[in-house]
Order: sequence, then C-alpha cells, then structure tokens
Amino acid sequence: MSTALEANGLGKRYGRHWALRDCSLALPTSRIAALVGPNGAGKSTLLHLAVGLLRPDAGSVRVLGGIPGSDRELLSRIGFVAQDAPLYTDFTGAELITMGGKLNRRWDAELARERLGQLGIPLDRRVGKLSGGQKAQVALTLALAKRPDLLLLDEPVAGIDPLARREFLQALMGSVAEHGTTVLLSSHLLGDLERVCDYLILLQTGHLQVLGPVDDLLAAHKVLVGPRRDAVRVAGAATVVRASHTDKQSTLLVRTNGEIHDPAWTVHDVSLEDLVLAYLADPSVGALPGPARLGTDRGVQAP
Amino acid sequence: MWLTWRQHRRQALLVVAGLAVLAAFLLLTGRSMHRASVDTGLARCLGAMRSTVDYRLSDPAVGLPDCNEPAERFNAEYSGYLTPAILLVFLPLLAGLFLGAPLVAREVQQGTHRLVWTQGVTRRRWALVKFGLVVGAILTLSVAYALLVTWWVTPLALANAARFEYLAFDLQGGAPAGYTLFAVALGILAGTLWRKVLPAMAVTLVAFVGARLAVALARPHFLPPLERRFPVAANTFPNPMLSDWILERNAYDSTGRAIAPGGDIFCALPCPGYDPGSYNVHVYQPAERFWLFQSIEAGVFVVLAALLLLLAVRRVRRIS
Repeated sequence: MSTALEANGLGKRYGRHWALRDCSLALPTSRIAALVGPNGAGKSTLLHLAVGLLRPDAGSVRVLGGIPGSDRELLSRIGFVAQDAPLYTDFTGAELITMGGKLNRRWDAELARERLGQLGIPLDRRVGKLSGGQKAQVALTLALAKRPDLLLLDEPVAGIDPLARREFLQALMGSVAEHGTTVLLSSHLLGDLERVCDYLILLQTGHLQVLGPVDDLLAAHKVLVGPRRDAVRVAGAATVVRASHTDKQSTLLVRTNGEIHDPAWTVHDVSLEDLVLAYLADPSVGALPGPARLGTDRGVQAP
Repeated sequence: MWLTWRQHRRQALLVVAGLAVLAAFLLLTGRSMHRASVDTGLARCLGAMRSTVDYRLSDPAVGLPDCNEPAERFNAEYSGYLTPAILLVFLPLLAGLFLGAPLVAREVQQGTHRLVWTQGVTRRRWALVKFGLVVGAILTLSVAYALLVTWWVTPLALANAARFEYLAFDLQGGAPAGYTLFAVALGILAGTLWRKVLPAMAVTLVAFVGARLAVALARPHFLPPLERRFPVAANTFPNPMLSDWILERNAYDSTGRAIAPGGDIFCALPCPGYDPGSYNVHVYQPAERFWLFQSIEAGVFVVLAALLLLLAVRRVRRIS
C-alpha cells in the first residue's frame, strides 16, 4: 500500500520553541485519518508543513511522493482547508469557483456549483455575509472541486452545528469512497472522528504520541475492571495507559500484547474517545509502530 | 490575472476616480496658467531669452526685455498654486502606503494566503502575476500623471526660474514615476517582511522618506557643479531666467572679502557703490543638465524598485 504522507524526523521551530519535533509517520493512502491533540500540539503546523505553507526546520516531509511547496503539479493534487476557512470575503461563491478554475488545472466547477446548491448556499452572495458553517462548507467545496488525491482539513467542523457536522462528514466519506481520496483532518470533536476516521495520529505538545489504524488500536487496547490493586502488573498487558481507582475497584486502560487470562479482571472494549483521552492525560506513554515498521500498515505492536 | 483584477478592481476604480478628479483640476488650472503665460507676454519673453546665455541689463539696444515684469504679473495670479503643488509630491508615497504595503500583508493578515497559496499555482507565479499587473497599472498611471503634472507646473516653474529647484524638479518628467514605482515596490517588500498592514505601512513611510531625502541631498552632486565668476559692476550678466540650479551664490570685493553672503549683486554701469574688482560667484548646475538629472534621479529609483520587487518575489516564496 502506498503512502500519502510521510514524515521523517520532521521538526518546525518558532524562535527557540519547537512546535513540532522529531515527528516520523507514514499515512497510507485511501485512509481517513484523524489528527488529534491538545491546543498547541502542532496539528496545524503538521498540516501546514504537509501542504507546503511552512518549510521544515528539521527532517523532511513527503506528500504523494513529492516535496510540498514549489511544485504546481503536487499543489493541484492536495486539497487544503485552513483553520477558520479563510476566503476572500468580498467574493461571491460563484466568483470563488471561477477563481478555483483559474488557479487549478484540474477543477470540477460543476461539482462545486452542485454541492453549494445542495447545501442551499446562494452563489451570488458575498461569502463574507454567510454564516460560519456555510463558509466552512464553501471552503470544503473549493477543496473538493480540485478533486484532490489528498485532502488536508484543519479543524473543518469547528464552526458547524452538530447536524451540519454530520452531513459534512458524510459528504467527506462519500467523496473518499468515490475517488479514493486520502483525508487527514484535525479536530477536537472526538465523537465525530470516531464515526468517520479509520486512522489515528495523536500529537502531544510537539511530538507524536499515538499512530495507527483505528481498528488495530481498538483491538490492542482494553479496559480492565477488577478489585482494587495498587501495584498494577497484568499478564498480557504491555502498558498501562491509565489507571483509576475507587475504594474497591480499579479500572485500567491497557495496551495488550496477548490475551488477558487473569479472571480477576473483566475485560471491556474501549472506545476511540476513551483511548484518546487516556493518552492525552498522560503524555509519557505512547503507542507508536516500531521504527522498522514505519511506513507499513501494521499498526500498533509492542516494540 | 482574473483573480488580481477581481481582488483589486474596487481599489483600482477608486484610484482612477480620485486621479480623474485631480486631473480635471490640473487640466483646468493648467490651461488658464498656460493662457496667462501667453497673455502676460511671459512665454514670448522667456522664449526670446532662452537663446542667450548672457543678457544685458535694461539695454534697449539689444532688444532683450527683462522678463521680471510679465513674470510678476503672472505670479501675482498663480504663485498661490505652488503651495498645493507640494501635495502632489506625496502622491507616490500614498501609492506605496495604500497600494503597495497591503498587497501581500493583507493577504497574510487575513489568512487568505493559506487559500491562494495552496491552489494549483506556485507562489512564484502568483507573485509575478499579481505584482506585475499591479505595478504595471500603477506605472502606466504614474507616467500619464507625471506628464500631466509636468505640463501643469512648467509655466509656474519657468516664471520663477525654478524648474531645476527642489519641488518643481520632483514633480516633472520621469522622477515622479520613478518615485511611485519605488514606493510601491518598497510597500510590497515591507508587506512580505512584516506581513501586517500597519507595520508594513509604517516601514514604507520611513524608508521612502529616508530614501527620497538621501537622493535629494545627493542630487547637487550627480555631476560636479560648475562655477562662474562675473563682475558686480557690469551691463552683462548671466541670464537669470534660464532656470539654472544655483546652489551657492556669493559676492566678494577685490580683496576676496564676502560682501553679500548668500546673495549676488547686479550693478549697472556706471556703478559707484562697489569697487570695480568686486565679483559674484555662482556654483550651479546648468539648466541644460535638467533632463540628464531627471534621468539619473528616475533611474536610481527605478533600479531600486526593480531590486525590491525581485527581493519581494523571493520573500513570498520563502514565507513560512
């Protein structure tokens, strides 16, 4: 399986502060990947590096096999929606579509018009007068009309109400299924991501913490509930990601490396949201594929 | 190209409308000045005097009139225009501040660079097209305007023999077009460096005024100035209406003592008041160097502008 996005020791520095450091990852094609992490974790930085708006200070990033930035061919294959969906506010929707046609060789104006029509967004109104959600939709439409091979979305659903959010994500799914587009979207809304994403990239203040296909990650993590124990060493569990205790009971979120046989524990599946929250709460544990497996699609294994 | 036009069309229309109003004013007043210059006999007088380097003071035998009298009549009516003409000096600066500085800075400030720089067009091409169109349009306008202002200010400048002096020089010929080009290029570059509209404008203002002052101070030395000595007591003097740019004038007596610091003395024979060996000294740039100096001044700013634009295009490719 080929790689849509590949970073090797990627780093970006602002002054003395590293916004992103030593980031190595490989995102296979035709995935919908979620990029999550707390504010300031470097999500936008990673996306900007991938689309060539930023240049790395360390390491390298390759997108669709090329180095982003100065290559028109490559630029036209990447759709990008920046945070807050910047648009020329005094342009109408129709004018933005015209603009896209002038600036891109591959451009599906029909698709853009149709999509805005379906969403009930008037083409002849200045986009500055549209609501935040409508603007986000316009921005996504412009990105989709490029018929991109890779779609990078920076907080695309932040300004949209829940219903529109679901439709937005469904449209995204549709587009990916139709064209085999790879999507990388950053968001805080874990519940939404769980519904659509099949790959997870978790950034924690500048470095990569968790990486892998969602299915593998979910399969490899279990919640264990049992009588209270303070010293937690569980056979079959590689790492305890998070432990919480009440007077009688301990709840552990563990990454497994085998079957959990200890009958004292009841084993539950974990939701993506719980998994992400557990890792976010403790930056010191990580779940990354070993260096040898970088670029493969094997997902999480104990190193 | 369509994008550049669409983005800046309102600005362009505003600028054109503003300039049109100003042009109408210049055309009206300019026409009446040119007419008055003819009617007062000033134009004819200056025309007659242009052919002589020396002229005789009040010597009807030679038949050369002193143009003072028509010049004064002309000035009585029109010298008031010199003050508002100072405003015209600021037009290039305004272009730099309001058209140049926001060109890239606003884009980055509003975040729309993230939209346009991720389309299927390289930043280099984006910058070349945008800068090219905007600068080209401004250059065309500024050249047309410089021609108009040159025509407008000429009778005024000639009536005051001030064509080569500061202010009048700065309004004529290629120089204002050069200033405008420079100001806009400076604004664009400042916008790529500071990336916020206001700081970019402030930097443009300071740098433009600084560069203009520096070049203006250097202007008397573009070519080594000439020096001429002529007696205080004589009937022939250098023609004062030629619009030479006299940098220094001094009068000395025969022992070399300054008798009129910063001034010159014309005393028709017989001249009892001054010792016969007294002489005036002019350090000056002759009027015929006017267009040469114009070319140098415009050339300096055009070259600077080209350099700044080149830097700006490179900067745009590197902004990250």
